[in-house]
Amino acid sequence: MISFEYILLVSSGLILISLAIAKISDNFGVPTLLLFLVVGMLAGSEGLGGIEFSDVGLARSIGTIALVLILFAGGLDTKWSSVRPVLREAGILATAGVFTTALLVGVFVSYAFGFSLLEGLLFGAVVSSTDAAAVFSLLRSRNVSLRGNLKPLLELESGSNDPMAVFLTLGLIQVLTSQIETAADFIILFIYQMGFGAVLGFGLGKAMVFLLNRFKFSYQGFYPVFALAFAVFIFGITAVINGSGFLAVYVAGLIVGNSEIIQKRSLLRFFDGFAWLSQVVMFVTLGLLVFPSHVASVVGIGLLVSAVLMFVARPVSVFLSLAFSKFRWNEKALVSWVGLRGAVPIILATFPLLAGLPRAELMFNLVFFIVLTSTVFQGWSIPLLARILNVDAPLERTPNYPLEFDAPRESNTELVDLMVPYNASAVGKTIVELGMPQDSLIVLIIRNEEFLVPSGGTVLESGDTILVLVNKQNLPHIRELLAEQRAKEEA
Amino acid sequence: MKISDLLTEDLVVTHLEGNSKDDIINSIVDLVATSPKVLDKEKVREAVFEREQIMSTGVGDGFAIPHGKTDAVSDIAAAFAITAEPIDYESLDEKPVRLVFLLVSKANMVGPHIKLLSRISRLMNKAEFREKLLHVSSPKEIIEMFKQEEATYFEG
Repeated sequence: MISFEYILLVSSGLILISLAIAKISDNFGVPTLLLFLVVGMLAGSEGLGGIEFSDVGLARSIGTIALVLILFAGGLDTKWSSVRPVLREAGILATAGVFTTALLVGVFVSYAFGFSLLEGLLFGAVVSSTDAAAVFSLLRSRNVSLRGNLKPLLELESGSNDPMAVFLTLGLIQVLTSQIETAADFIILFIYQMGFGAVLGFGLGKAMVFLLNRFKFSYQGFYPVFALAFAVFIFGITAVINGSGFLAVYVAGLIVGNSEIIQKRSLLRFFDGFAWLSQVVMFVTLGLLVFPSHVASVVGIGLLVSAVLMFVARPVSVFLSLAFSKFRWNEKALVSWVGLRGAVPIILATFPLLAGLPRAELMFNLVFFIVLTSTVFQGWSIPLLARILNVDAPLERTPNYPLEFDAPRESNTELVDLMVPYNASAVGKTIVELGMPQDSLIVLIIRNEEFLVPSGGTVLESGDTILVLVNKQNLPHIRELLAEQRAKEEA
Repeated sequence: MKISDLLTEDLVVTHLEGNSKDDIINSIVDLVATSPKVLDKEKVREAVFEREQIMSTGVGDGFAIPHGKTDAVSDIAAAFAITAEPIDYESLDEKPVRLVFLLVSKANMVGPHIKLLSRISRLMNKAEFREKLLHVSSPKEIIEMFKQEEATYFEG
């Protein structure tokens, strides 16, 4: 029996190693998630670490809880105003698009490798969703910036298509194990799952906003704990009544993230951390679970299936889904290429294993290989392709200055931009001489388009734009300070 | 970002009518609303007046730069006007205003917004440039002058 302390030591060590490697490779543009997966593989029974881990059930449980947190955090971080224009397109991609991908891949593998059609479709369903974590981390990295509505479209699609893939996978397993008999039952199950997922996610998301604002917790630390527990609760209750829990948490995240809530910043930060922890743990676990030698044995057909997925199934489903949209062909081509597969297919591939289906082992290894190729080839080439297709936007240099300020609800403080009038007596004075009222601070001076962080001795110039953090009560005082004009003869 | 790139001939007028500060702001908001970047004119109006309440944007020497941040624009929209008459704009130096530049930016573009404010403020701080602007007759000329002035000060 391995001692618990030993397990803690090893797992924390793996997380630390993953983060360290991610940091070191920051500059090489290697997809971060791939690194986590590799760390897991190296630590595994066939790697340097020699850790024996083959508990598929445990891996699935870890994957599920990680996915719940990632989806909730992804929803929290998605701005409604930016995704609203692409709601319809993303919705079609996330449903019909996923279905088309699954169908095309399914037909191909059953035709090419002698899977039965249903087995083929199951395989297609497992690899049908794009990975929110991979897409988010790619789109938010510093190497790529996309024009127009492409970014919100891709983010919304990848965040919302997992429930569809989960549904197709679980539904098909039920068909294969003869729990579902007819196509009609399948469709009813779909409507039931998605309907309950969306409705419960919406309702409970609203409830969460209400409760967060209503409860006056005496400890700030209670807020994130409450939100965390509530998110898991939303997943649990939806899943228990057979709705799509994944859809529910994602929708709830969207609702909460786009509402006014107390402690929003700290909640966002908390869930951002949790989402990353989930990523690391999930990918390392999946890396541990797989036997690289088994994956290596499917390289041949793996490459073939990957190619079909990347060059046929995904492009066809994207172009069909977006046929009636305003997106141009080059934009659709890019969307086709951002079909990054991630942890979800690997987690889904554990379901057939646990259900004891024939060929589940082969499927698992194939899926793993496809995820690897997708992350490596597509992940790496997206910035380049964006440039070739001319859909990239100039990278915004985001200066690390306090340009935005989310006023806490009960505070009176505001960040305002003011201009030093041309003939103000403040011109030529240092900030100390100006005598700013208490509770106010000039946080930034913008002069000739340069950002200057002022100190007490900084001299104001005529026409400077200044960002002032000010208590609203003191605003009139500052207005007076700036409005005061130089003596007439000087002016 | 260049000011001359933000302005088109449709967004510049040489004789903006109006008798009061509110008139002028209303008219120049109507002017900027002809730009396809403006999604909701009334929200823009609201944002500009709201900012005006914090402190008058009449920064002196006959120049005013009403501005605001709102999601009712798709990125950054601008308009420029010379008023038909000198206007009491509640400027800080109490001088009447003739030159009005309106800048409206999307709420999350704080960085570009304040950089543009800084750029306009620097250009308009030159007495000769203000004087020259007052003596042009067409929107085309005005845009041309902004182009030249920007070339001199920011690229030379």
